[in-house]
Amino acid sequence: MATKRPGSVEDLNLDALQELFKPHIESFDHMIDAGLETMFDHIKPVVVTHPSKPQKLTIMLKNPKIHLPQKTDGIARTTHGWLYPFECRQAKISYTGRFTANVCFQYNDGGKIGPQIRENINFGHFPIMLQSKLCNLKGKGPRELVSYKEEATEMGGYFILNGLERFIRPIIMPKRNYPMSTVRSSFSDRREGYTDKAVVIRCVRADQTSLTVKLYYLSNGSARLGFWVQGREYMLPVGILLKALIDTTDREIYANLTSYYNEKYEKGKGVVGTPRIGDRAQIILDELHDLSLFTRLQCLQYIGEHFQPIMRELRNESHYIVADAVLNDYILVHLKNNFDKFNLLIFMLQKLFSLIDHTSVPDNPDSLQNQEILLPGHLITIYLKEKLEEWLAKGKYMVLDEINKKGEKFDFTDSFQVRKILEKNHAPGISLTIENMLKTGRLATQTGLDLNQRAGFTIMAERLNFLRFLSHFRAVHRGAAFAGARNTTVRKLLPESWGFLCPVHTPDGEPCGLLNHMTHTCRITSFYDSQGNLKVDYKIKTSILNILIETGMTQSLPKILLPGPPEVLTVLLDGCIVGFIPSTEVEKVVAHLRELKVSSSAVIPNDLEVGYVPLSMGGQYPGLYLFTSASRFVRPVRNISIPSNGNENIELIGPFEQVYMEIQCPDGGNGGRKSPFPATHEEIHPTGMLSVVANLTPWSDHNQSPRNMYQCQMAKQTMAFSSQTIKLRADQKLYHLQTPQSPIVRTSAYTKYNVDEFPTGTNAIVAVLAYTGYDMEDAMILNKSSVERGMFHGQIYQTETVDLAERGSRSEQASRTFRKSNQDKSCPAIDSDGLPHVGQRIRPGEPYCSTYNAITNKTYLFNKKGTEDAYIDSVAVDVKNGKHLKKANIRFRYPRNPIIGDKFSSRHGQKGVCSQLWPDIDMPFSGNTGMRPDLIINPHAFPSRMTIAMLLESVAAKGGSLHGKYKDATPFRSSVKTDGEKSGSKSASLVDELGVMLKEKGFNYHGCEVLYSGVYGTELTCEIFIGPVYYQRLRHMVSDKYQVRSTGPIDPVTRQPVKGRKRGGGVRFGEMERDSLLAHGAAYLLHDRLHTCSDYHIADVCSICGSLLTTTFIQPQKLPVRQIVGLPPRKPPSKVACHACQTGKGMETVAMPYIFRYLAAELASMNIKMTLKLSN
Amino acid sequence: MDPLPEPVSYLCGDCGVENTLKPGDVIQCRECGYRILYKKRTRRIVQYEAR
Repeated sequence: MATKRPGSVEDLNLDALQELFKPHIESFDHMIDAGLETMFDHIKPVVVTHPSKPQKLTIMLKNPKIHLPQKTDGIARTTHGWLYPFECRQAKISYTGRFTANVCFQYNDGGKIGPQIRENINFGHFPIMLQSKLCNLKGKGPRELVSYKEEATEMGGYFILNGLERFIRPIIMPKRNYPMSTVRSSFSDRREGYTDKAVVIRCVRADQTSLTVKLYYLSNGSARLGFWVQGREYMLPVGILLKALIDTTDREIYANLTSYYNEKYEKGKGVVGTPRIGDRAQIILDELHDLSLFTRLQCLQYIGEHFQPIMRELRNESHYIVADAVLNDYILVHLKNNFDKFNLLIFMLQKLFSLIDHTSVPDNPDSLQNQEILLPGHLITIYLKEKLEEWLAKGKYMVLDEINKKGEKFDFTDSFQVRKILEKNHAPGISLTIENMLKTGRLATQTGLDLNQRAGFTIMAERLNFLRFLSHFRAVHRGAAFAGARNTTVRKLLPESWGFLCPVHTPDGEPCGLLNHMTHTCRITSFYDSQGNLKVDYKIKTSILNILIETGMTQSLPKILLPGPPEVLTVLLDGCIVGFIPSTEVEKVVAHLRELKVSSSAVIPNDLEVGYVPLSMGGQYPGLYLFTSASRFVRPVRNISIPSNGNENIELIGPFEQVYMEIQCPDGGNGGRKSPFPATHEEIHPTGMLSVVANLTPWSDHNQSPRNMYQCQMAKQTMAFSSQTIKLRADQKLYHLQTPQSPIVRTSAYTKYNVDEFPTGTNAIVAVLAYTGYDMEDAMILNKSSVERGMFHGQIYQTETVDLAERGSRSEQASRTFRKSNQDKSCPAIDSDGLPHVGQRIRPGEPYCSTYNAITNKTYLFNKKGTEDAYIDSVAVDVKNGKHLKKANIRFRYPRNPIIGDKFSSRHGQKGVCSQLWPDIDMPFSGNTGMRPDLIINPHAFPSRMTIAMLLESVAAKGGSLHGKYKDATPFRSSVKTDGEKSGSKSASLVDELGVMLKEKGFNYHGCEVLYSGVYGTELTCEIFIGPVYYQRLRHMVSDKYQVRSTGPIDPVTRQPVKGRKRGGGVRFGEMERDSLLAHGAAYLLHDRLHTCSDYHIADVCSICGSLLTTTFIQPQKLPVRQIVGLPPRKPPSKVACHACQTGKGMETVAMPYIFRYLAAELASMNIKMTLKLSN
Repeated sequence: MDPLPEPVSYLCGDCGVENTLKPGDVIQCRECGYRILYKKRTRRIVQYEAR
């Protein structure tokens, strides 16, 4: 009977782990489920007009479908046709599914509309994200995943392209559909009269494509709306747009604009309007009069006239149609209704004027409050849309070309012929461009897609260790455009990002503050509700509207003026003005909305953002901004204003609303909140502000903060147990720790995220003392016997893929096979199949693989590169195309056991380099237990760095190991309400709790022990702090870094040593170094370094003419040399003569750097003669 | 070139069956038709550094 083993696959609870990857996967899922469909609906049908006949052909795209990944003919037809990720990694192919769509043709024969003809067209093989709905691994349990040769915890979220794992890194974008007051000096450079102030709104359509519109303020008091059409920005006077949008009068525009100003309030709280609004409205209207535009039709005519040359498709249409298209396609595109656009434009003008009059402050574009995220699925969707539009446009021109070429012969109405032309348009290329985008991270786009960057969208998902892999998917980048920016404002940590972005987990150095990581509680809103069903946008919006109207909102209807603050607050729902609420009522409405959000009845989505910006004295422009859109940040907090009837009342809040919410943390301090503002919400746990990796640092609240940042860096560079499927992987480089352990001291996140599946270190017995002097300056002494028992043992696996189909010319490819040459017995490592023996040791430079060209009858040997011995770990063969062996993955194993110079670190940013492998017998030993430490560090590591948690960890781990228990080290323990709060025990400090554990087992309360010198056997004068600390082995190892030479490869021109470790080059000994040696008077060393080991050269110089370059060798005439018996044959004297002096008399040999001779040659080339004066 | 090089054993990546292939043979498992094969560990004596 089989009993369940501990740590079995069934025990895994992966929910928390999978939650971390959701933003990536859900966005891709949405693209499959609905995103593509909506995107296809938004692609405008292409109309081909016959040049001579009154015929029109409309080409549309319909019914996109991506299929599950299946094996193509290239790979084998096995018992099942499904393609699994494992095979892609192994065979270095892409994980793709077929992408098909219907192309619909419809004829319009002079008014008569023909039937729609659908043709299914194959758009190639589309890359599939792992664990998305189209992945063959979706919904498989851990055990099944293992059977598919995957990690039991496989979370997906990445793509496999040519066997490499890549993912799309989310990028921060300006918040969609929210008009943002912006001050930017570049605005004033646009044109004469422009100021630096504008209201900017990034409008996002339902298909996720976006267009940014800017409303500029002019110094004369007017405003211009700037929008981009085909790579150029056009600025229109806002009055023209207001009039063109709806049938309205000057009076109405004036009344609308001035409606938010009321003399009654003067300069009270929340007043945004000023009396100057009247003048500005006047100016806006005067501009219209100057252009003599009075009616809507005139305005449309004006727009149409100006944009007709740009709108290529509508060149032959009337001005009105063109103007309509401009308004539809380029202006406030997130709204469909012209009334809504008009209202929003009025609102934006009011906000702009309030910014000018300093009744409201500009919004900070660097604050998370005004930001959202660009998710993988959305990026692919918008890129795909552009590519499909290009494809359609190109198809149109191909059809027109064909008509021109064939003239009357070409039957325009024959859909078969049209299809044939479209097939020439290479539809499978569409998927290929997407694959290329994922491979390179570069967007090949003309329009820029309203994105700030073209490159750097995708990153390799490195599996150096689990934490690094996981962090990739929690990372959020600010955008490549900011990486080069000189100022540091974008990098600052702002309070708005509290709870969403981890303050600890950001790299130091170049990307500091630009590459952030989401906290472990942070989520991204998606198109799916909590049950996993697609949200229905209009249903949500109508239900929100109904609730708002019920609770006292006046709905905005055409021709109704919108009064403004402080009397009422405007309500915007996803950037659409839906009405206004009296400011006295609004707090009640907000509370009501929040209550509905929390309640399980699905009237209102639980991730609705209720951005209530209250009235203030010149603060942010007030209003009630509701957001239901996807790709916003949200995080859970507890709503304590609602009576909890057994419910947890967890509410998801966003960064926009968080700024104006009262959230307390149960640390007793109440966040310095004053009684008039009682807390309505409560943090669930203080660790919610930290990322997963930052959460793994034990008692990080006891460390100095930069140490926690260093730990986040180092945790990601740890050589750890990177993969459980290590023998099935073909990664280029894999680090592997042979003997990992589970930490005794661990935080709650450690168990929550199953880090035990991929442990990252070893519990080492650490003694803190200055011993032998080899532990100075962050060096550490390892116990040699501990290392020999396996501590920190590790390997590097490196895979070399030999693909004969990719090497050499095509004719060569066909004739080449793996085979061993029989004549050549010199390569014992190679088996008869041309591949190495598995398990064989390969020395540097030794051949490991041999190929044979049957036509030229030549063998080619692959020689091992590098300077290290390696072992053949595995050899996998497969076929790409055809049947014969063309490709082999040869995996080398480099043993990497600790040696002097390897780097180690504790979990508290305390890194050190191994300086000695000290013999066990000479290590100090404990008086009580006789134990010798595994590792010795210097006490000076602590005072300045203040990593108290490391000391706590040592004591706690000692106690834990004595009691046989894991010790919980979740930070902020003192700031958490404990349910059964025992009186008195709360006051006990952590040290007291840990000390007692030691005391119980008869150890010193403070973790110190009496130690004896291992060399002298005498008692050390003070007690030594000793205990187990979890140590990580970092991937930086001397074997990869050491660089040493005396002589070696040289540059052929200068004969000086080359640079570069790989080529066996040297480290530059430069001028400063020379100066320092000169100053020391170390002339011999200087001569050795700069001459003997460098370009030492003996030159022949003619002392007569002083020339270095005119020497020639004279062939000595064959003189009969008399051999003297017993002496070696005399070397014929090599004669050198000066070519210029025609004599060899004055020749002398002089030692000099070769570069001197080179200089003489260079000077000679410029007609400068260098003369040497030789003296004794 | 030797006309008859000795055959080499491979293990199937899917079912684990041992396949013995000669140069020029189709790379495919005899049992299940899977096309990723792993080479078997050598029978030769391999000396490791015992340091």
